Amino acid sequence: MRATLLRRTLGLAWVVPALVLVGVFVYLPLVQNLQFSTLKWDIYSGSQEYVGLDNYVKLADDPIFWSSLGNNVLYAVVSIVFQVFGALLLAALIESVRSQRWQRVLRAVYFVPCAISLTVAGLLFYFIYEPNLGPLNHALAAVGLPELAQAWLGQESTAMPAIIAMSQWQGFGYSTLLFAVAIQRIPREIYGAAAIDGVGPVGRFVHVTLPLVREMTGIMIILTISGAFQVFNEVMVMTAGGPNNSTQVLGTWLYRSGFVRNNFGYAAAIATVLFVITLGIAIAQLWASRRRRVEW
Amino acid sequence: MRSRALSTFAALLGTALALTACSGGQPQAAPAADAAATPDFSGTLSILTKFAGDPTAPYFENLAAAYSKQHPQVKVELIQETDQSVKDKLKTLTASDALPDIYFTWTGNWADNYIRGGRAADLTKVIGPDTEWGKTFSPGSLAAFARDGKYYGIPLYGNGKFMGYSKAAFEKASVQVPKTFEELIASCGPLRKAGYEPIAFGNKDGWPALHYLQQLFAYNVPSATLEADFAPETAKLTDPGYVTALNQFKTLVDQCTDTKSGTNGVLYSSAQEAFANGKAAMYFQEILEFDNATSGTLKPADFGIFQLPVPANAAGDPAMLEGSPEGYLINAKSPRVALAVDFMKFATSLENAKTLSAPPYGQPSTVVGAVTADNSSKAVYEGIQLVNKAPKLAIWLDTVTVPEVADAWLSGGEAIVSGGMTADKVLESVRQASDAAK
Repeated sequence: MRATLLRRTLGLAWVVPALVLVGVFVYLPLVQNLQFSTLKWDIYSGSQEYVGLDNYVKLADDPIFWSSLGNNVLYAVVSIVFQVFGALLLAALIESVRSQRWQRVLRAVYFVPCAISLTVAGLLFYFIYEPNLGPLNHALAAVGLPELAQAWLGQESTAMPAIIAMSQWQGFGYSTLLFAVAIQRIPREIYGAAAIDGVGPVGRFVHVTLPLVREMTGIMIILTISGAFQVFNEVMVMTAGGPNNSTQVLGTWLYRSGFVRNNFGYAAAIATVLFVITLGIAIAQLWASRRRRVEW
Repeated sequence: MRSRALSTFAALLGTALALTACSGGQPQAAPAADAAATPDFSGTLSILTKFAGDPTAPYFENLAAAYSKQHPQVKVELIQETDQSVKDKLKTLTASDALPDIYFTWTGNWADNYIRGGRAADLTKVIGPDTEWGKTFSPGSLAAFARDGKYYGIPLYGNGKFMGYSKAAFEKASVQVPKTFEELIASCGPLRKAGYEPIAFGNKDGWPALHYLQQLFAYNVPSATLEADFAPETAKLTDPGYVTALNQFKTLVDQCTDTKSGTNGVLYSSAQEAFANGKAAMYFQEILEFDNATSGTLKPADFGIFQLPVPANAAGDPAMLEGSPEGYLINAKSPRVALAVDFMKFATSLENAKTLSAPPYGQPSTVVGAVTADNSSKAVYEGIQLVNKAPKLAIWLDTVTVPEVADAWLSGGEAIVSGGMTADKVLESVRQASDAAK
């Protein structure tokens, strides 16, 4: 009895350092962020005035907060279309290629962009979109479409779509690779049986592939939505939220409110909202991953 | 990867918040540091500069090495940032109560925040206008960092904004230096016909538009009104001169730049290069950029400057020039205030001030006699003379007013460039930001 108690105590002792670290560096800032969202804080004098829920009321009336949230939602929707369903389609096409060598080459080709850091990719695309020197406008002119050339990141109407497009390019390969792995797990016999029954390639994709990668699709949707609400790097590098706040997302508006506008209490309120959204998505992810797996 | 970046950022914000929380969260009065005390020549002196990158980075590196040679027990730790990154760095260090011993500052509301918050040491006893050290500076530059009769800042260099032009381009297009804003706009057609982009302009960071706007506001809005409108407590922002200035700026962007409404997508450094490489005829620039502008195809002899011309019937002050000195504050909570003062005395000695004013640095020192026709480039010398002659300087719009209002002007400037908002709407948005900041 005593030995068991000792073992348990020793076991706890092993996890205490990790618990302390996680508590201090993850959970304490979260709790304190909640506390700071109820303050008006002057970083210069250090004065902190309790304002209750004023920052949240201000947030509800802030049009830039809502447009930022809208941009995150747009990001999520486009990412689901391209990085989930588009990637699934591409993975199915790659896996249908007969040559194993070509399959490997194609997987590598599509995966390379996601090996590039988002900051580097953002800079790269900034120069691609540059209105005077960027290759995109030159390419449009070269193919006889000079009227389509424009300042992609310099106009409210095109800046956000241009950033989202870069992000799709960057993240597409990763999703494709994950779907390719999921498709490889499907026994070939099922495809063979379907073919014998006269089911064509499209039918095999709809009736065999889609149902059997359902679990991966669900997880990818949740991961993609979660990622879309945590967007920060690419927007900061490419537009910093401009022009005229048209590309603000919650992460960049949080940053701007705190570090540019000196309104750290308000920034903490945005951070709390962002946390609640991503927490909700994480819970959904946990729930989805606990669902019964398809077995074969 | 995204999740990791945001988590890191959130952790930084949280840690900054947490560190401040640990300090009790109440305003802390700065200890009355004795700037005139005899320094203890030992320990590490930390300095945050705005001189990262070429050609300025070696300036403080050389100073630090020379100072450490004179005082072997003193180690100088440099944190060098760029014009853009120094803003975030300073705020992060301020929020976490970790300011270095000496740190960069602009004038206006930017410096006021540090002085009001008790984070800048009172240097009146050592740099006041009647002191030995104070007498070495131009009086105007010292006054820019004075509040309520006390002197807080060490002005390092003066700065002003001018239209730089290529004499060859003007000659080729048969264009004279414009005397009015209308003449400036009229000159853009002939310059374009001669094969040049009339004015190079890149507004990706937003502040280049603010520089045009502040100079045009100074011309179009009466000085007293402009001054009152910078402070949210007294601001009305109803003067019609603002709308006039915003529309004048829009005209300039649409008629004199090649990218027109798309200039929000162009880096200011790309515009700078277009001018330096002879592709553009003009570029609105700070004195600090003059030597850089003539380091490419454009040669110093071919480079001229003029103040942005005044529009006809402008209701403001036609003599007001945009610009202000930039300098350094000493952390009031530093245990090495006297040593920090000694280092800055060394940095602003006439010899070092002359080095700073000469190429490749080209930063016109505020020390009297440091900028001469012999040691500075012709344009830098001419520019600083004009700054000294100006009866009043209009401080940068993004540092003269409170951050919320400055940010509203920044977004408004971008909207004017892209055509996303009318001048009236921009002014309305700034008024709202100012009301909210009261």
